[in-house]
Amino acid sequence: MNTIVCVKQVPDPEIPPAKFKIDPETKKVVPPPGVPPVISVYDERAVEAALRLKDKHKGKITVISVGAGKVSDVVRHALSMGADEGFVIEDGAFENLDSFGTATVLSKAIQKIGGYDLILCGRQAADWGAGQVGSILAEILGIPVVTFACGIEAVDKKLRVRRVVKDGFEILETPMPSLVTVSSEIGLPRLPAGMSLMLARKKQIPVWKPQDIGLDLSDLDKEKAHTEIIGLSIPTRKKECEIITGTTPAEAAIQLAEKLSQLF
Amino acid sequence: MATREVFWNISYPYVMYLLAALGVAYWIYSLYQRYQLWRIGRPDECTQEIGKRIRVFIQTLLTEILTHRKFLRDPFPGIMHFLIFWGWIILLLASAVDAFTYYANLHLVGTPYLWFSLIVDIGGLLVIIGMLMAVLRRYILKPERLNSVFDDGIITALILIILVTGYMVEGLRQAATELKTHPEWALWSPGGFVFAKAFEGMDEESLRFWHQWLWWFHALMTIGGFVYVGLVFSKFQHILVSPLNIFFRNLGPVGVPAPIDIEKAETLGVGEIKDFTWKQLLDLDACTNCGRCQDACPAWATGKPLSPRKVIQDLKVHMVKANKKQTHSSESVPTLVGEAPTEEEIWACTTCAACQETCPVYVEHLVKIIDLRRNLVLAHSKMPETAQLMLRNMQSRGHPWAGIQSLRLRGDWTSEIEVKVLSEGDRVKTLFWVGCTGALAERNVKATLSMAKVLKAVGIDFGVLGEAETCCGDPARRAGYEFQFQISAEQNIETFKNHQIQEIITMCPHCYHTLKNEYPKYGGAFKVIHYTQFLYDLIQQKKLNLSHALALNLTYQDPCYLGRYNHLYQEPRQVLQALPQIRLKEMERSRNRSFCCGGGGGHMWIEEQPGTTKINQMRLEDVLKTGADTVVTACPYCLQMFEESIEHKGMKETLKAKDLVELVEEAMEATRT
Repeated sequence: MNTIVCVKQVPDPEIPPAKFKIDPETKKVVPPPGVPPVISVYDERAVEAALRLKDKHKGKITVISVGAGKVSDVVRHALSMGADEGFVIEDGAFENLDSFGTATVLSKAIQKIGGYDLILCGRQAADWGAGQVGSILAEILGIPVVTFACGIEAVDKKLRVRRVVKDGFEILETPMPSLVTVSSEIGLPRLPAGMSLMLARKKQIPVWKPQDIGLDLSDLDKEKAHTEIIGLSIPTRKKECEIITGTTPAEAAIQLAEKLSQLF
Repeated sequence: MATREVFWNISYPYVMYLLAALGVAYWIYSLYQRYQLWRIGRPDECTQEIGKRIRVFIQTLLTEILTHRKFLRDPFPGIMHFLIFWGWIILLLASAVDAFTYYANLHLVGTPYLWFSLIVDIGGLLVIIGMLMAVLRRYILKPERLNSVFDDGIITALILIILVTGYMVEGLRQAATELKTHPEWALWSPGGFVFAKAFEGMDEESLRFWHQWLWWFHALMTIGGFVYVGLVFSKFQHILVSPLNIFFRNLGPVGVPAPIDIEKAETLGVGEIKDFTWKQLLDLDACTNCGRCQDACPAWATGKPLSPRKVIQDLKVHMVKANKKQTHSSESVPTLVGEAPTEEEIWACTTCAACQETCPVYVEHLVKIIDLRRNLVLAHSKMPETAQLMLRNMQSRGHPWAGIQSLRLRGDWTSEIEVKVLSEGDRVKTLFWVGCTGALAERNVKATLSMAKVLKAVGIDFGVLGEAETCCGDPARRAGYEFQFQISAEQNIETFKNHQIQEIITMCPHCYHTLKNEYPKYGGAFKVIHYTQFLYDLIQQKKLNLSHALALNLTYQDPCYLGRYNHLYQEPRQVLQALPQIRLKEMERSRNRSFCCGGGGGHMWIEEQPGTTKINQMRLEDVLKTGADTVVTACPYCLQMFEESIEHKGMKETLKAKDLVELVEEAMEATRT
């Protein structure tokens, strides 16, 4: 089965929030200098999900990424994990795309690639966390979407998807092709094996421009964007530490249980 | 004139020669068979530079083997082996002299003969004393590190029987001959004399009868010994195999694994016994199961499953078994890891090199363990979860740190002091290579700043890479993730070349080892110096004014990668001694016997397996025994490990962990203001 995985490059989410700055004029987040861009964590798990399906059913995995600058590193990372082919779609106009804009670009690229049974996205991006691209993309492509997957199986030309819900999970079946967004419960992404790591370094990753995928840049005009940023702020986190005491460990445990029950 | 008749009372001595020739031939055949077994391994570079090897071997023979320098570090077993070793040398030389003089018709007579008899008897006596010490140790004292097998008992008994019957034969001859004619001659063979006195009352016929029988028994036991040793490939073979191993030992830096050629590699690391090189298999047979490495191993000492002795012995058993199965049946070769040794054992190693340092026969454990890790990681993606996290971090952000430990960014420290941060196109001769931990971990940044201040104070023109510095690749290489190391090495070498760097000063001994000893194979040969060497040179040139008295009681932790890997024991100590008003008290285990902090081999990030205690806590006890108020080291891992163990013990008020350069900077303070 052939899978297309959409991955996004984000500033390293391990960077403490206080290191970021916000430009109030342009309403942009300015990451600190030298922050390495990394693959969005959920997207990495989407690649893992694709690889697990490939381990079982063979097929081909194509990875694509959209960006304004150099985003080939995240595609290369997916290749080193074991994906077969990668493309990046780059243009200066792609800076600050909203979910609709990103989905539009991705849909054009996916239509160019064609021949897919499954499209995978991360459940949300590690930077903005909007979690909309997957669903909008499915809508544009006219295929079913299942979100928050924690397990995907291919059974009789159908996809059986385990989906995380608040108090457990549900199992859904969807035809091929479908779009599935992947949640972290699917499991840890694999560490790229030695050989694929070295081979991925040598692979060519073609760069597509808007015209290569038949994209009309006017579709991405600001006026046509569906979202508008009103304000941005860096979250402040307060830490409070309270030592719970008790004459016996059992007593301390009871106190702790009471405290916790008050919190939730 | 004092003498004795060679082959007195013995008819058909050539029968003995014939049997001996057969016995020795069989023994040589057994060695040949073993040679064939080693050859299932891959080729090894150790057959190059034979001339240099001969030179080094002779040097080792004179300074180490004949003197037993390494053995005697452990007095009891050291003296024991010394006695047996020299006793046998005397006996073998004496036999050779005996045979030569007999067949060359140069019969030993008079005083030389008497001295000769005395020396031979002393040789035998030395062996007997040594063997009795061995029996005492192995079967009565039973130190933990000795793992006795059947073969040990057999060869012990065999040697004792051969020696005692030798004396008895001599005694019987003396009782029948010289005791009656020249009793003063007999005193020159004290071993035989004891028995001669005991047999004195017997009549000549029975003396001759028993002499003949015992003579043949003695000869047959000796010849049988050769056959036995060949038959079971007894550890007695170490007499030949271990020197061979010493001859072919790695002459380069310690613990440097061979690069994997991506284009040609058929296997990644060692998955089957035949993936080792033949020299690595020779290693297995050179091991005598003496257990010195086990005694030195920090993982074993703290109750982890790893014993370097057991790893080598298990691999040896596996080698024989796997080869038998391959040649004699269609059964598949048993898997290597899991059967011998286990994954837990392989991952418990901190690559501290204490095992190799102590091994008298130069068994090389480290590279084998890394080769086994390579296969697990590269071919099977099997590794502890924390190892995976570390490698993932290296891959995505160029350093192994994550979570709260990376509250800093790589270049943050440069904003706290004015330093030249190299940007594209900048050229500088001297690079100050900070290392991941020195740049990112808050505690270590203090040491980094100290070093930068010292460098500035002495007016060195240097640059740093700041954000552009990435990991040297050490943790990835030790964890077996070779390709990540290769990527890091190639990237860094390119960076060094772009800035036309000639000289690199490193903070971290692990970076030091990697840059200095491992990068040359990837095309990066730069002058790499550890900062302790640099400070030492400054002191030698009287360029450091250390006038501010510190008044501290210090002890010094030798970082493994500085000491055992690179033999820098003296430099850091000289720097310490130059500090005003300090007292340095060494720990019992120091210099090349130093005990690891627990942070090497990727273990700064790979979680320590449960054991009886943690390695850093055990080492802290060594520190406490010195009564020092400050433990000084020159490695960021050691510093982290000590900070952690001091905190764990609740001793933060009374014991400080310091980096050497921090003390130097403090001592300089007075001069700089």
